[in-house]
Amino acid sequence: MIVAENLVKEFRLAERKPGLAGSLATLFTREHRVVRAVDGVSFTIPAGSKTAYIGANGAGKSTTIKMLTGIMTPTSGRCLVRGIEPYRHRQANARGIGVVFGQRSQLWWDLSVPDSFRILRRVYDIPDPVYHRNLTLYRDLLDIDALGTTPVRQLSLGQRMRAEIAASLLHDPAVVFWDEPTIGLDMVLKDAVRQLVNRVHEELGTTVVLTSHDITDIAAICDSALVVDRGRVVHQGSIRDLLRTADRRSVVFDHRGGPAPESACAEIERGLPGVSASSAEDGRIRVDYPADRFTSRQVLGFLLERFDLADCYAPEPDLEDVLRRIYGGHREAAPAGVPGARREGAA
Amino acid sequence: MTAAVWRHVRLAFFLGGVGLHRLSMYRMDFALGAGAFLVRVGLQTAVVGLVFRQVPAVHGWTYHEVLFLLGFSLLPRGLDHLFTDQLWELGRKLVQRGEFYRYLVRPVSPLFSLLSERFFHPDGLGELAVGAALVGWSGNRLGLHLTVLQWLLAPLLVLCGALIHTSVKLLFASLSFWTVTSLPSMYAANQVSEFAAYPLDIYHPSLRAVLTWVLPFAFTSYVPCVYLLTGATGLVVWLPVVTAGALAVALTVWRRGVDAYEMTGS
Repeated sequence: MIVAENLVKEFRLAERKPGLAGSLATLFTREHRVVRAVDGVSFTIPAGSKTAYIGANGAGKSTTIKMLTGIMTPTSGRCLVRGIEPYRHRQANARGIGVVFGQRSQLWWDLSVPDSFRILRRVYDIPDPVYHRNLTLYRDLLDIDALGTTPVRQLSLGQRMRAEIAASLLHDPAVVFWDEPTIGLDMVLKDAVRQLVNRVHEELGTTVVLTSHDITDIAAICDSALVVDRGRVVHQGSIRDLLRTADRRSVVFDHRGGPAPESACAEIERGLPGVSASSAEDGRIRVDYPADRFTSRQVLGFLLERFDLADCYAPEPDLEDVLRRIYGGHREAAPAGVPGARREGAA
Repeated sequence: MTAAVWRHVRLAFFLGGVGLHRLSMYRMDFALGAGAFLVRVGLQTAVVGLVFRQVPAVHGWTYHEVLFLLGFSLLPRGLDHLFTDQLWELGRKLVQRGEFYRYLVRPVSPLFSLLSERFFHPDGLGELAVGAALVGWSGNRLGLHLTVLQWLLAPLLVLCGALIHTSVKLLFASLSFWTVTSLPSMYAANQVSEFAAYPLDIYHPSLRAVLTWVLPFAFTSYVPCVYLLTGATGLVVWLPVVTAGALAVALTVWRRGVDAYEMTGS
C-alpha cells in the first residue's frame, strides 16, 4: 500500500554569521549547509493497518509524511502510495488520501465549517450518500454541529482540530496521514477521535499513518509501529511486539505487616542484585527488574517468600521507556514514573 | 483531459458563488476597498485634468484620449484583480508560514486551488466599473466610432491584458518558493504597471522599452488603446505572442517553484 525505497530528503540551509557585519556578509556570499532530514529510509506499510510512525525529534517524521502526501519531492529514492508516486501525480494521489497537519489548517479560514465541507464535497466529487453518511457520523461522534456558522479563524484550537479531522475523512480516503492530529483536544474529544478512526477503519478498511507526541494516542489508535532512528527502521511490527522488547519489567505490590516500606525496599535490592525498588505514597512498592537477568517467576517467588502479599500486579512495559531505550542506544533507562524523564524519547 | 478542464470550470462557477457569498459577509471590507479605490482614481483623473489646463496636448495625446487610456488600463487590471489576488498571499506569507501545502493535497490543479480561494476580490469590481465608465464617457466625448472588428476584438484585448497582469504577478509571487517571501518584488512590479496608465510617448525610451518587452504592461493598455483610438495595428499584432510568452514563462517558474517547495517546520 505504502512503499518507501531509499527515501532521502536534504535541505540546504543558508549559513548565517552573527552580528551586523555577518548579516551583511550573508547578503553577498551564499554558504550553504546541507542537512539530511531523511536518510535513506525504506519501509512498507500494508493496506488496512494503523501504523504509528515513530522517531526521535529530527528523525524526519514530518518530512517523510510530506513526501508521502506529495507535498515535497525527495532528493533521491522514491515512495509509492497506492502505486502512485505522490509528488509526481499530486491530483491522482490527493483523491485517495486524507491529510491532517495539526499545526496548520487546511480549511477556508474565513468560511464556516459547513461551508468548507460543501466546498470539499465539490472538490472531491463526493457522492451524496457518502457525504451524508459521513456528516451524520461526525455529528454523532465529534458534535460537529456545535461549531455552527462561526468562521474557522474564530474557532478554538480544539474546535478547529475536530473540523480538520472530519475534513480529512470526508471523501472516504483509502489512506489517511495524520501529523499530530490531537493537538488541542481534551480527553473527551481525543476519545471521540479514536472512536471515529477505529470505526472508519473497521467499516472501510482505511489505512492510517499517524505521528504523534502523545503516546496514549499511539497506543489507542495504532496496532502497529514503525520506529525510525537516524534514518533506519529499527522496529516494524505490532505495538505488542515493540513492548515485548522492553528490557525492564515491573511488579507492583502491597503487603500486610512485615517491614516498613523503606526497609522492605532495601531488603529486595539486597536480595535481587540489579533490581530497583521504590515505595509509593500509598504504601505500595514498585519493583523494576532487568528482564535479561530475572524471570518474573524468580522475582515473584522472592516476593512471595519474604512478604505477605495483599495485592500484586505487573503493569505493561511503558512504551515511552521502550522508545527511550531505542533512541538512547542501550544507556541505562530511568525507572518508569520518574518525573522529568517523560516525553523526550517519545517524539 | 477535457473532462478535467470541465471539472475545473464547474468548480470555478461554484467557488465563484462562494466568493460572492463571502463578499456579502464582509460588506464593510468591500465598502472600504471600493472607497479607497475611488479616491485614487479620482486623484489620477484630477492630475490629468490639471496638466491639460496648461497644455492642449501631450505628445499628441489630448485630454480625453489620456482619460480613455487611463480608463482602459483599469479594465484588464480589474479583471485580473477579480480572480488572482490570492497570489499576493503567496508572495506575502503562504510559503513563509508553511500554509501552501494545502493546495497540493487536493485533487485539483494547485494554481486553481490557490486562486479559487479568493475569487471575486471586491476591488476588481470597482476597477471594472470605474474603468468602463471612464472609457465610455471619454470615448463619447472623443466621438469615437469603433469598427465592427474593433468591437469584436476589444474584449479579447482586455482579456489578453488581464493575462499579462496575471503572468507578471504569478512570476513574482512564485519567487517566494525560493526566497520565502517575495512581496517587495511584487510591489515593485505592481508599481511599474502603474506607468502603463499613461501614454508611453511621455517616457524615456529605456523605460518605454522595459514596459514593452520586459514587463510588457504596455500591451495591457497603451498598445490596445492606440489601436482602438487610431486604428493603427503597429504593435497590437504582437499582443497574442506577448501574452502567450508571458504566460509560458510565468507558468514554468510557478511549476518549478511548486516542485522546489519546502514546507518548513513540523
